[in-house]
Amino acid sequence: MTDRTRLVLLLAPALLVLGGLFLTGLGLTLLRSFRYVPALGMTEPDLSAYTAILTAPGFLKSLVLSLWIASVSTLIAAVLALATALLLRQTFPGRAVISFLVQLNLTIPHIVGAIGILYLLSQSGSFARLAHAAGLIATPAEFPVLTQDPYAIGIILLYVWKELPFITLILLANMQTLGEDHESVARSLGATRWQAVRHVLLPLLMPALLAASALVFAFAFGAYEVPLVLGAHAPKVLPVLAWQASTDSDLTTRPEAMAMAVVIALIGFALLALYARLVGKDSPRAP
Amino acid sequence: MTTLSLHGLRKTYPGAGQAAVHGIDLTVESGSLTALLGPSGCGKTTTMKLIAGLLTPDAGEVRLDSAPITTLPPERRGVTMVFQNPLLFPHLTITQNIGFGLRMRGLSPDRIEDSVAAMLARVRLDGLGDRRPAALSGGQQQRVALARALVLQPKVLLLDEPLSNLDPSLRDEMRQLIRGLQQETGITTLVVTHDQAEAVALADRIALMLDGRLAQHGPPQDLYRRPASIAVARFFGGVNFLAGKSQRGIFHSPLGPLTLPTGAPEGERILTLRPEALHLGPGPNPRTAQVKAVTFLGTQNRIDLTVDGLLLQALTTPDLAAGMAPGTSLTVSLPPEALWLLPPDGTRGTGGPTGPVPPTLRA
Repeated sequence: MTDRTRLVLLLAPALLVLGGLFLTGLGLTLLRSFRYVPALGMTEPDLSAYTAILTAPGFLKSLVLSLWIASVSTLIAAVLALATALLLRQTFPGRAVISFLVQLNLTIPHIVGAIGILYLLSQSGSFARLAHAAGLIATPAEFPVLTQDPYAIGIILLYVWKELPFITLILLANMQTLGEDHESVARSLGATRWQAVRHVLLPLLMPALLAASALVFAFAFGAYEVPLVLGAHAPKVLPVLAWQASTDSDLTTRPEAMAMAVVIALIGFALLALYARLVGKDSPRAP
Repeated sequence: MTTLSLHGLRKTYPGAGQAAVHGIDLTVESGSLTALLGPSGCGKTTTMKLIAGLLTPDAGEVRLDSAPITTLPPERRGVTMVFQNPLLFPHLTITQNIGFGLRMRGLSPDRIEDSVAAMLARVRLDGLGDRRPAALSGGQQQRVALARALVLQPKVLLLDEPLSNLDPSLRDEMRQLIRGLQQETGITTLVVTHDQAEAVALADRIALMLDGRLAQHGPPQDLYRRPASIAVARFFGGVNFLAGKSQRGIFHSPLGPLTLPTGAPEGERILTLRPEALHLGPGPNPRTAQVKAVTFLGTQNRIDLTVDGLLLQALTTPDLAAGMAPGTSLTVSLPPEALWLLPPDGTRGTGGPTGPVPPTLRA
């Protein structure tokens, strides 16, 4: 067996999954978004599904909301993850416990977390009732609106809670690889502990932090299940619009769902490409 | 000018059974270039890190002149350490790397620029200031690491194996650069190395560390010619050892009486003679020897000899060794001025007085 054949054979399973599932799915999505669905008698491809969703009232609001949720939750999660990773790098009593708690959420599905937040933070939730019982508020309705609210606080909270350990773990692994020698050098060259972190460790960690944040942003921008549970009635994030259109009993809305999916993917891709360009310019190379 | 001194410095790593540094007392004289020499794992780098403040000692003190610095954080000690790997900051240019310490001190960009430009020239890297570390060769990176430390004009400079990551062809250049810069600046410098030839070529004084202890400290010639113990002698290539008794200038050994240099100590001793000092030919203290083996070592030949059943080793030029084949008999002599007496407990450091006995003592 030549090396070439062996390589093809080894790659075959991955290629089958990628080609068979992903590319076929992408192709079908594209075809349907152009209103080409022979099974439904649509055989004349056009762009009307795209014009319909892009000119629909509220598209812009939904786009803004999606961007708001994805960027705010990514930013908060990244900052907190950095602080957590710096903290967990130290040795202190209780470190193992905190480390365990931080990693625990990785195993909890998003949807379960979302329902948990709803139970805890909605106006009929546990915290509202506790606050009422404690006499802090007169009625549970006075509890601040944290779920299904216009600023998507509930959604952002959930994403921060869920993505923080993900970014933290990536940072910790990265710190382990980097070791402490660069910081020791900085200290020996006269940097205080904080200066060594600020001028040496942070720049060295930046590529990992940026890459992890990009993943988190892409996920938060494209996921529908958490906004479906915790989101307000209007506006809805783009992925929820796509999901609703694709599960509508009216089959003629399918092309619009597909067009929406394509638009979300394109926006997400464009944002990440722009981001990679912006930060790639002077990002440090690995030592 | 600053004198660095260590007083009873001791460090055991958590979980390690044995101390890495066993109570070191050492004075590095002001303006000197001292080599901290020893085999791998003898505690050299740990000692460096204790001086730099990157590790905290379990006991003992580090002083600059008479001021203790043991409790100061690394950045306030006036001691700068250059690591074995260059460890340049990959996200900064060469200029920014060299200016790093000055920037941390809050100097104005103009002053930093001037100092860095001068420093770049001194390590012969002019024109490379705008490059990133990854674009430099290993030797160039090591020079940047040196420049980055020297630009701070520290009171004490610590260099951890500065030549070990360089190609042999670059070592000599770097050695001369270190030597030259040290003489120019007069900064008290301690260089860690495991290579005795490097230590001898580089340093004014050598502090030899064995098993976490300071075995001997002095000028390189002393460690060669007047070792303090068998372990020190062996580290510097000593192979010939004879047990015996010194009495009124005569050493009574298994090879019979040998004339000693004047002022030799009296009593039970171990005599040592460097292999290159064993004279192949007639002279004082002559003995008849049989050649056992001749080994070509490049610039030198090693001759294994037996004298009265005892093994001795000589190093000589290939010319002189030309006529010697195994089995030949010849006269060798042991020049009195080359004979050195070690204390009888001289095996300390190789396992205590009951430790392994040197091969020539096992007649």
